[in-house]
Amino acid sequence: MPRPRAARSGGPEHARTAIGRPAPRRPGPGPGRPTFGRRGFLTGSALAMAAALAGCGDRRSPVGPAPSGALSVGAIPDQDPEVLARLYGTVADAMSAALDLEVVYRPVTDYAAAVSLFRTGDLDLVWFGGLTGVQARLQTPGAVPVAQRDVDAAFHSVFVVDAATGLAPADDLRALAPLRFTYGSETSTSGRLMPAWFLRRAGVDPQGFPGGPGFSGSHDATLALVGSGSYQAGVLNEQVWAARTADGSVAPSVVEYARTPAYHDYHWLLGPAAVDRLGADLPDRVRSWLLGLPPGDEVLELFGAGSFLPTDASAYDQIEAIGRELGLIT
Amino acid sequence: MLRPARDRARLLCGLGAGALLLWSLAGSGVLGGPVLNPAGVGQLTRFAAGALHPDLSGELLGVLARATLVTVAYAVLGAGLAVALGALGAVAAARTTWGRRRAGWVAVRGALAVPRGLHEAVWGLLLVGVLGLDPWVGVLAIGVPYGAVTARVFADLLDEAPHGGYEALRAAGAGAGVAVLYGLVPEASGGMLSYAFYRLECAVRSAVVLGLIGAGGLGQELALSFTSLRWEQVWSAVYALAALCLLADVAGRAVRRRVAAPPPRATGRRDPVLTGAVLATAALALWSAWFLALRPATLVDGRTLDQLGTLLRAAWPPAGDGPLLSEIAVRAVETVQMSVLAIAVAVAGSLVLAGVAARAPRGTGAVRWAAGAAVRAGLLLLRAVPAPVWALVFVFVLLPGPLPGALALGVHTLGVLGRLSAEAVEELDPRPVAALTALGAAPLGRWLYGVLPGVARPATAFALYRWEVALRDTVLVGLLGAGGLGVLLSARLAAFDWPAVATVLAATVLLTLAVDLVGARVRAVLR
Repeated sequence: MPRPRAARSGGPEHARTAIGRPAPRRPGPGPGRPTFGRRGFLTGSALAMAAALAGCGDRRSPVGPAPSGALSVGAIPDQDPEVLARLYGTVADAMSAALDLEVVYRPVTDYAAAVSLFRTGDLDLVWFGGLTGVQARLQTPGAVPVAQRDVDAAFHSVFVVDAATGLAPADDLRALAPLRFTYGSETSTSGRLMPAWFLRRAGVDPQGFPGGPGFSGSHDATLALVGSGSYQAGVLNEQVWAARTADGSVAPSVVEYARTPAYHDYHWLLGPAAVDRLGADLPDRVRSWLLGLPPGDEVLELFGAGSFLPTDASAYDQIEAIGRELGLIT
Repeated sequence: MLRPARDRARLLCGLGAGALLLWSLAGSGVLGGPVLNPAGVGQLTRFAAGALHPDLSGELLGVLARATLVTVAYAVLGAGLAVALGALGAVAAARTTWGRRRAGWVAVRGALAVPRGLHEAVWGLLLVGVLGLDPWVGVLAIGVPYGAVTARVFADLLDEAPHGGYEALRAAGAGAGVAVLYGLVPEASGGMLSYAFYRLECAVRSAVVLGLIGAGGLGQELALSFTSLRWEQVWSAVYALAALCLLADVAGRAVRRRVAAPPPRATGRRDPVLTGAVLATAALALWSAWFLALRPATLVDGRTLDQLGTLLRAAWPPAGDGPLLSEIAVRAVETVQMSVLAIAVAVAGSLVLAGVAARAPRGTGAVRWAAGAAVRAGLLLLRAVPAPVWALVFVFVLLPGPLPGALALGVHTLGVLGRLSAEAVEELDPRPVAALTALGAAPLGRWLYGVLPGVARPATAFALYRWEVALRDTVLVGLLGAGGLGVLLSARLAAFDWPAVATVLAATVLLTLAVDLVGARVRAVLR
């Protein structure tokens, strides 16, 4: 049966080839066949492409690395990364003025990508978590921890539960074992590594919750998921918990169940390539700037710190051992 | 006659699909025990409220405007690279080139399955490890897998084009390559152009997924706000993205329509609209290369080769221990089940919505027009919100497990499939519906007897094609209890366990290839 309009449809007989709407076959050349002056067009576009690529010359890519004379700074996407990313001028300008260097801030959306970019030398100075800092140091020989916040030497994670579980705050983590449970990001120190370690020490299989543990991706997502009741329990960074309780954005059904013992967490890590490029005194200059920030400084506010303190690699030995034991460092 | 055998094959396919669906439903836990979590409505409301109150502060809009440029540049260059790679690969992958030497053809097709089997985001993560912060990451992550798909589609177009000119050139003593270039390419050029513009539309969505892993652009801004669940900001990014998708859809569709139904005019004259579209796209590609400051030298400089070597040495030999392999087997089953459910949701949804979503013929009422526009806008938002965001939102109101993950993929796929099905409806012969209307049939009757029979076949064919895409997309949604190979991949990537990553990637490629072969077989039966 002739179906004049259906001929255009690219119906099933063509669907194998193109999911869009392919042209019907047209025998031989005829009106409407798009023919380009092939040689002219191809040569012209090749030349123009070459010109454009050559013309890039000294143009700096909006997504590319910082120029070699500059220090590129980044941070793992942990607490309010969008605030940090969009106020990056604050950090970069302050650092630039103090160190007399060009400073470029590069927001990162993925923990593993931050580690990789530190290894490739695209990020020189990165605000890492405990575990990501160790991963980055193991992959980048010569990297040095520069400073940590006052709160980082004794950091905690908070286990939260849905009030509907009826659990009262206690120290016994075994009560969490039969609950649907979510961590934060997979390589988050406070949202995954240390809580998993303390769960294991309490005799709870950290991978064993009903249906397996979830990975919400962030501390805020953990709060929202426990708040919705989909997950009955979760664990997050104590700072985010304090900030969100203070501003009242936590659902009333989410209650604190337990707090982990203290451990070392976030720190600034400086890569070896930056030291080669910008001078052997760079670690000292960065450290003395961070340590000398006056109380209430904007940069301290952005990082939720009272002050920055010195730190060194041995502070993270425990994290490394635990990371190896839990299979997060290989 | 072959008819009865064909019908039997179709029946078998139908039964197989039903069994697969039941098996997947059983795996998702829907058939036993509760899956709903009514208490999560509050969180869902917060998400939905963001849609009504997007953040329109000047500062965020400025950030989004710059990010939009990056996304456009990635999409245009990624699609451009894909078309270039596809054109080169097509000759090698066409059956015509190989003739009776089937082994060579199979080898090329198998080789093409490797880049195609990995999700763009996975390509992106691997490329970040090699190239670091470089615009090539985004361009290659789209261009390489898309290039392999394009090569296959172009090869099919070449094989299906009329072979008269090709045979004549061969008979006159021309080499195979020359004969394909001058005998077949002109015949297939319309279909190729259509497909190139379709790829450009898809590349916009892929460019956003790349942002989620940190390659820049709208996806990166969306991911940053999503980490803190700033829904108003997430929605601003989604609207920007929807506008971009709409623009690409409208432009691509205009080009494809023009190719399919050219206006009559003098022989030998070029269609000014098509020429303009191609030139405008080429100009956009040039601007993109300038804007991203793309340097070809980066691809082969010392650092890149160094990092590539480090990565390959770390990944070789791939892990082959028993526990890993058995976990891969379990996760592969989850992946297949999740993708089957996702496609079932998308097909069911698009069959129901296609009739309404199709642009109504002139002279229909305002209500019908408004309903159509609303459904089309809804489908646009379904595909503009990235699958990981849907996954979190579904876990608010459903208990964790494979179901929310499958639904997240399902609604995202519905956004794509619904639009394609609606276009198929617009192309249907309008007479059955007109006849039913004239006979006084109710709307449901018109849909059931006028629309559904015509659209079921194209929708199924599109769905089989999207099945492979959904299978790869499971990588994005597994982390909240949904499972699948993506969970394993993400865990091993997080631990930088490269040998295990290599094994999981190989398993993913094999699984994609298997699904592709099944899909091709079923499509052949349906034709």
